Amino acid sequence: MDALYRLEADKLDIFLQSLGPDIYAPVKTDAIRFQKISSVKEADLTALADVPVKDFFFRQREQLFKFTKGKIATEIKDAPFRIFFGLRRCDLNAVKHQDFIFIEKYKDPYYTAQRKNTLLFGYHCDEALNKYCFCGSMGLEEYHDIMFFDKKKYFLLNPGSKVGQKIVSEAKLKRAGTLKKKDTIPKGTDRLEKKDISKLFENSLWEKGADECLSCSACTSLCPTCYCHEVKDDVKLSDLKSGERTREWSSCQLKSFTRVAGEHVFREKRVDRFKHRIYHQLVYFKERYGVNMCVGCGRCITHCPTTIDFVSLINKMK
Amino acid sequence: MKADYLPQSVKVLQKRDESADTFTLRLGMKVDHDPGQFIQVSIPGIGEAPISISSYSKDYLEISIRKVGNVTNALHGVKKGSSLFVRGPYGRGYQMSKLKGKGIVFIGGGCGVAPLKGAIEYVEKNRKDFKEIDLFLGFRSPGDILFTSRHKDWENHFNVHMSVDQIPSKTCYSGNVGFITDTLNKTPIQAKGTVAFICGPPIMMTKSIQLLAAKGFKDTQIYVSEEKLMYCAFGLCCHCMDKGNLTCLDGPVFRYDEIVRSRDGKA
Ligand code: SF4
Ligand code: SF4
Repeated sequence: MDALYRLEADKLDIFLQSLGPDIYAPVKTDAIRFQKISSVKEADLTALADVPVKDFFFRQREQLFKFTKGKIATEIKDAPFRIFFGLRRCDLNAVKHQDFIFIEKYKDPYYTAQRKNTLLFGYHCDEALNKYCFCGSMGLEEYHDIMFFDKKKYFLLNPGSKVGQKIVSEAKLKRAGTLKKKDTIPKGTDRLEKKDISKLFENSLWEKGADECLSCSACTSLCPTCYCHEVKDDVKLSDLKSGERTREWSSCQLKSFTRVAGEHVFREKRVDRFKHRIYHQLVYFKERYGVNMCVGCGRCITHCPTTIDFVSLINKMK
Repeated sequence: MKADYLPQSVKVLQKRDESADTFTLRLGMKVDHDPGQFIQVSIPGIGEAPISISSYSKDYLEISIRKVGNVTNALHGVKKGSSLFVRGPYGRGYQMSKLKGKGIVFIGGGCGVAPLKGAIEYVEKNRKDFKEIDLFLGFRSPGDILFTSRHKDWENHFNVHMSVDQIPSKTCYSGNVGFITDTLNKTPIQAKGTVAFICGPPIMMTKSIQLLAAKGFKDTQIYVSEEKLMYCAFGLCCHCMDKGNLTCLDGPVFRYDEIVRSRDGKA
């Protein structure tokens, strides 16, 4: 799937609108986040979205089942047909990793219901969007229904799936050359110099990073790949026998993440929690599943209140 | 593995108080399992908790619970004949058939004796498959001693060493006083052809591992049962992750060499 097709810039809106009513794109509000748009003019494509699309599929709070008087019942409804436009390469791969863990590995019915009627339209980065990007070091792959290459007056579209191919064909777009592998990787994004950090676990520089950490958990909530969660019961105060069991995002940066009876916290030291996130992202997930978890989007650095750049920290380790 | 958070309703066949804060529920569940595995037990509205299986039987499944939190306190209120929500069994327990022909040293502290009890019952039912069996059981005080109704049987089949850390004043007690690890230290044990199962408070486990090492036990002869916060029990929520190990899938029973990998500076 390396064919390219040409779409004139002034036809983008009509092209998207013709596909359905639910088009989502990054929009600048309090932050750049994905929202439903009625015209592509509303989209902000100047920077990486602050909030990734994760919440649409692996929702921050998901009802697992309802219970009433000793009976339990699930209510899983498929999300409507939606198109997400403006996803960067890192975020497309983040969806790939979440699809892998939730759909392929775990056949999670909740995630699947939110994700299955979705099309992913990428927006290619020619170069790093900011100085913290490192997607080029993470071995990312193509994972889109259609990728859009912005050539100002026109777009080059690369269909990456059967549905994507069908859309492009039905829109009768003209062939415009072939995509080369080297043009898929944004320039200046390979700043993580080490491929394997598993032997650096006892390196003293981790303390330096952890010293700046406030355990605020911004990094985990804004990470497009983090999938840790807790399970809770909520009851109505009016009727303590009815309620719902939910799963909610949780953060390994908090002590409560490992707290057991007797107030014993397994990762009591901040440096252990700080390292755990990075090792899960860069080592543990890969050891178990053979693929990386982190996609190098850099959000956990740009949105960290003290901008702890763990990539340059790792680069300095000997 | 499938993400399945839905529990089944099971009947409580029996309820026994073991001590002031610990009790046993016998559940009407006939499932194949290994000793040392655990189930997720819940009361809708209160929550769910992982609890290790403390029996070994084809006809029922027992869990022994210490009242330490919301869910375990609420479970104490459950009556014989009522229902509970359960899913599982989960995890890797003691793979007993692979240990045929060996001697076993059981070292349990407090409610850590509960997961060991399943393995002890397995050995009782398959006594000929194992050599020398030693039980080292330590409790805080005489009132905290668990499974007293089973002790006679155990003494008939095994070498039982028991002690309590302390005796409160005005208590009548004629057994050993002191840490169970002191008893372990003083008792001669043949490391060759023997494995050790340890479960208890972190300090007791660390101390026992040191003592066993001094007696010639290798890391590969020691099995520890880990307690971690966990929610899903099938490896998705990641709360129980220790280094790269998922306690719910790779454990809760680990051979000690599997969890000491940070020793050489490796994650
Ligand atoms: S760990 Fe950081 S850089 Fe990696 S995917 Fe998560 S937010 Fe992005
Ligand atoms: S965002 Fe930064 S300060 Fe907050 S928990 Fe993560 S690393 Fe620590």
